Amino acid sequence: MTAATLALTQQRANRRLAIKLAVVAALMVGFAYGMVPFYNVFCEALGVDRARPELADTHAAAMRVEFDSNVAAGLPARLTALEPVTAGRAGGLIKAKFRLENLSDAPLGIRAVPSYAPERAGRFLQKLECFCFNALTLAPRETREVTVVLLVEADMPPELGAVTLSYMLYPLEENPHGEGKA
Amino acid sequence: MSTTANPTIDLGAGHHDHAHDHDHDHHTLTGWRRWVYATNHKDIGTLYLWFSFAMFITGGLMALGIRAELFTPGLQFWQPEFFNQLTTLHGVIMVFGAIMPAFTGLANWMLPLMLGAPDMAFARMNNWSFWLLPPAALLLIISLFVPGGAAAGGWTLYPPLSLQFGMGMDLAIFAIHLLGISSIMGSINIITTILNMRAPGMTLMKMPMFAWTALITNYLLVAVAPVLAGAVTMLLTDRHFGTHFFKAVGGGDPVLFQHIFWFFGHPEVYIMALPAFGVVSQIIPTFARKPLFGYHSMVYATASIAILSFMVWAHHMFSVGMPATAQLFFMFMTMLIAVPTGVKVFNWIATMWQGSMSFETPMLFAVGFVCLFTVGGFSGLVLSIAPVDTQMHDTYYVVAHFHYVLVAGALFSLFGAVYYWLPKWTGNMYSERAGKFHFWWSMVWFNVTFFPMHFLGLAGMPRRIPDYPLQFTDFNAIASVGAFCFGLGQLFFLYNVIHTIRGGVGKAPANPWDSPTLEWEVPSPAPHHTWETPPDEALVKKGLAAQALE
Ligand code: HEM
Ligand SMILES: [Cu+2]
Repeated sequence: MTAATLALTQQRANRRLAIKLAVVAALMVGFAYGMVPFYNVFCEALGVDRARPELADTHAAAMRVEFDSNVAAGLPARLTALEPVTAGRAGGLIKAKFRLENLSDAPLGIRAVPSYAPERAGRFLQKLECFCFNALTLAPRETREVTVVLLVEADMPPELGAVTLSYMLYPLEENPHGEGKA
Repeated sequence: MSTTANPTIDLGAGHHDHAHDHDHDHHTLTGWRRWVYATNHKDIGTLYLWFSFAMFITGGLMALGIRAELFTPGLQFWQPEFFNQLTTLHGVIMVFGAIMPAFTGLANWMLPLMLGAPDMAFARMNNWSFWLLPPAALLLIISLFVPGGAAAGGWTLYPPLSLQFGMGMDLAIFAIHLLGISSIMGSINIITTILNMRAPGMTLMKMPMFAWTALITNYLLVAVAPVLAGAVTMLLTDRHFGTHFFKAVGGGDPVLFQHIFWFFGHPEVYIMALPAFGVVSQIIPTFARKPLFGYHSMVYATASIAILSFMVWAHHMFSVGMPATAQLFFMFMTMLIAVPTGVKVFNWIATMWQGSMSFETPMLFAVGFVCLFTVGGFSGLVLSIAPVDTQMHDTYYVVAHFHYVLVAGALFSLFGAVYYWLPKWTGNMYSERAGKFHFWWSMVWFNVTFFPMHFLGLAGMPRRIPDYPLQFTDFNAIASVGAFCFGLGQLFFLYNVIHTIRGGVGKAPANPWDSPTLEWEVPSPAPHHTWETPPDEALVKKGLAAQALE
């Protein structure tokens, strides 16, 4: 090959490589935008607490509700909030689901006892429907979905901001509080 | 071999141009035209280096503005708003204006010389990649004077703050667009030059380490500069065009920005570190008079660092409320990255081991680099522990960490590179005494400035604040004194370089360090055109044999 043709093939090879690299760069801009839907899917799948439009809306007072669940020592059961953090607006409803599991091979009678932190928030968060209203009996190894429906009172003070609603599972016979105070 | 014998290459303002070279598009270009229409890789390299020095001084003055305010508690000089603009512009200018262009400039100047190529692959694109930089810098400076002032949310540009600033933020976004386009074009040029234009006999696994680190760095840049461009474009459309990527009001999430930014941001820190590794890997073997220890493991370590750097980004976000599994994943990946980094440090030490070492200025900076970069690596490891970082995040400990890797790391390697190659660039020797003074001065005051910041951070002083509680006074005062002295020393560096360009110390031989790499085979100063016919294979092999690569 002469020097001139060599230079020409070199130039062509250079140009081809440059175009490939430019395509990679363009695709990476797409990747940046691709992270947006991916992020949403990912957060949802992991149940990650995200910034919520309800909370950012400064016009209607918003309340963020976090669910906490505990099981009395030795009780072979598990309670899991399906969406551990949620939010509602004054005057609105919040519906939350929990998974309740009997981990033993025998039938199990339980009662869920709710509590609020801060305590005064309980006044503004009314349970319209709750799995804690009644004692529950689970078949051996049963998994059941249970719900709670909450009404955020319209006069909820905006500075309240956030509340934790905690459930503790007790075995039926030793329920320390007697009847649930829903 | 080199063909032309152009006596001097003017590193100055170009006021006395010896344009006798029989060049196709250059022999008519004199004065400013030579620089504005520059397509020669050496001219463009020179432009990059001077530009980045100017930005280094600009960013440095801003840093001194910060340190002046923090000398004592209370507000002395600036309102908090302006203080925040200083920290933001300092970061943006140092990262995108000083460190990155300096390494691109070095790559421009040295790669064709080291690889035996006549020029960079795309000479005209090269001109464009440089000349996008000054307008970008100008936008950043102008943004200080628009209503509302410059962006003030930190170089990371986090929303919601970055959605709330005035037009200073828009100017910063445009500047970042320009800088990004410039980087991508520069990268394409560098990658193509390395992959397609090496001299016969120089296979990839026989390239100088500097070329390897340049290759990998620029792959990183092609991959992540567009991601940053995407992120700031989303900021722009959120600000003005009604999108809600990061606005919670419309269902967006500010934390999303952090993910996108750090997907760029962590590779970015290696974009600033890897070329420094490359420079040090050229300097240490030269002055230890031994071939680089573990060349192959160096290449693999560089590549593994690059790949891992895409999988650690959320170590900047341990405190945003990620699930524990994600925290653990990013924590372990981050710790893993210390392994190839350690391989490199051990290889440098092994290269020096039983070498017949001498400590000219480039070597001093290289050894200083190895010591202090390792300190920064260790504080990085401390920060990589998620439960520890929850305490330390956004404190001065982080500021100490990244200045050890960026100032004592990237910047020291650049100083080393300048002293190492200045004889080739200018044809003149620099003053060894002045160089050594510059090194020791920088070494001492660097540590006086940044070491106390570890203590401040551990004691809980947050970063990016213009005022602080009384108990932090002493260490802040020490750091401020250190910073002003360090800054003064850099003016001395400028004097050193100009003195060398003027030939104040005398002529340099073609190969003052007796180094086997190809750039030393051309005369000093390097003629305007070199390797127009590639070096013959015997010459290449001779150099490779001396590096134990053949
Ligand atoms: C052993 C290697 C390294 C490890 C384990 C490491 C780890 C970390 C971690 C965990 C943080 C986040 C701290 C926080 O914000 O709370 C961080 C911040 C940072 N690191 Fe490193 N790092 C390493 C090397 C480097 C290198 C080589 C560079 C640059 C040359 C670098 C530059 C930075 C910068 C600029 C920040 C602060 C970014 C900001 O928030 O503004 N690091 N590092
Ligand atoms: Cu990082």
